[in-house]
Amino acid sequence: MAQHVLETDGLVCPFPVVEAKAAMAEMPAGDELVINFDCTQGTEAIPRWAAENGYPVTEFSKRGAAEWSITVQKA
Amino acid sequence: MLTTGLLIGAALGFVLQRGRFCVTGAFRDVWIAKNTWWLSAFFVAIAVQAVGIWVLNALGVITLEASAFPWLATIVGGFVFGFGIVLAGGCATGTYYRTSEGLVGSWFALIFYALFAAVSKYGPLAGTTEAVRGVTVGTQGSIHETLGVSPWVLVLVLVGIAGVWARHHLTKPRARFATLPPEKTGLNHLLFEKAWNPFATALVIGVIAIIAWPASWATGRESGLGITTPSANIASYLTTGDVELVDWGVFLVLGILIGSFIAAKGSGEFKLRVPDAQTIVRSIGGGALMGIGAAWAGGCTIGNALVATAAFEWQGWVSFAVMILGTGAAAKIFIAPRKKSAAPGRVPAGV
Repeated sequence: MAQHVLETDGLVCPFPVVEAKAAMAEMPAGDELVINFDCTQGTEAIPRWAAENGYPVTEFSKRGAAEWSITVQKA
Repeated sequence: MLTTGLLIGAALGFVLQRGRFCVTGAFRDVWIAKNTWWLSAFFVAIAVQAVGIWVLNALGVITLEASAFPWLATIVGGFVFGFGIVLAGGCATGTYYRTSEGLVGSWFALIFYALFAAVSKYGPLAGTTEAVRGVTVGTQGSIHETLGVSPWVLVLVLVGIAGVWARHHLTKPRARFATLPPEKTGLNHLLFEKAWNPFATALVIGVIAIIAWPASWATGRESGLGITTPSANIASYLTTGDVELVDWGVFLVLGILIGSFIAAKGSGEFKLRVPDAQTIVRSIGGGALMGIGAAWAGGCTIGNALVATAAFEWQGWVSFAVMILGTGAAAKIFIAPRKKSAAPGRVPAGV
């Protein structure tokens, strides 16, 4: 299992999810994707995208003012 | 009395920001994520408002009237507006509250939206706007008049659809959303941290939209929530000094800026964020299209899709549908992952 990091700071929604989707498609199952984002809408859109696709969220934290990080596993 | 605009605007801005209520997102999701989770929440807001304003109409507090349906301007303007909001990254209210979150791209979108709305309503394009809006069909602008039924029939239908649709989404078995670990407690947690349920947010927005009607009416501005004309009024006031333009609606949109800033700052979600050059250019283009489109269509996602729909105006429902089509067209053209850089960096496990 490996961890991949996707930096999306500066991108507004829906781009963090669009990029996460693309990154996920290239990863083997079981790997984790760390998505760093600063789009406020993402705090709702990314967990919802993960839940709808059945991807477990292994970590979700606030890095600072309007900056978040979420780790999603490809199940 | 104009200050009620500021208060209602502040409440609306607060709820929009905390509830992440993004109409652009709702329309976009229909095409990109292929789901109607947010669109159905938006329907709930329309239905709640419809009940309230038709009660107010029956009580004689307000009078709901629609003029002949300007079909050509509504269809073209709605499409252009729907296309523009994808480029701008937010509709009119979305752009206002993102401006207060410190998103510099939204500042560009907001300035060009207000400018082009003024150009199309009061400036050199005012004649064109008037000519296109002069192309009308029929004499009755509302759906219930055309059908020859009581508006309450439509209220019932709308509430029924919104109820069934919301229930479908709320009872569908699905995985729990991941949430951030709470750092606050009590009311502070609820107001400045908790992720709000979209349907709860929609209910509150519906109620705010109802209150807006009599509050605005009392100042002589005989309509409900509206964003485009007030934005155009601000741009015109700033360049002409004509205080006649400063009405309840102007206070409303200024209130949205204040309320959403309080919400963003209070929840640690304010940060100046400067996007890349391409995003800025798109924000400018999107804002300009929004201004022209909304002026032609006679409203934006709020004035038309939220408010005129609740009043059962043809203009509201037709522009609502056409905006979604415009959003779909722009999403198809502009929404794709970044090239190459989309490949994620790989680090060893456990790091």
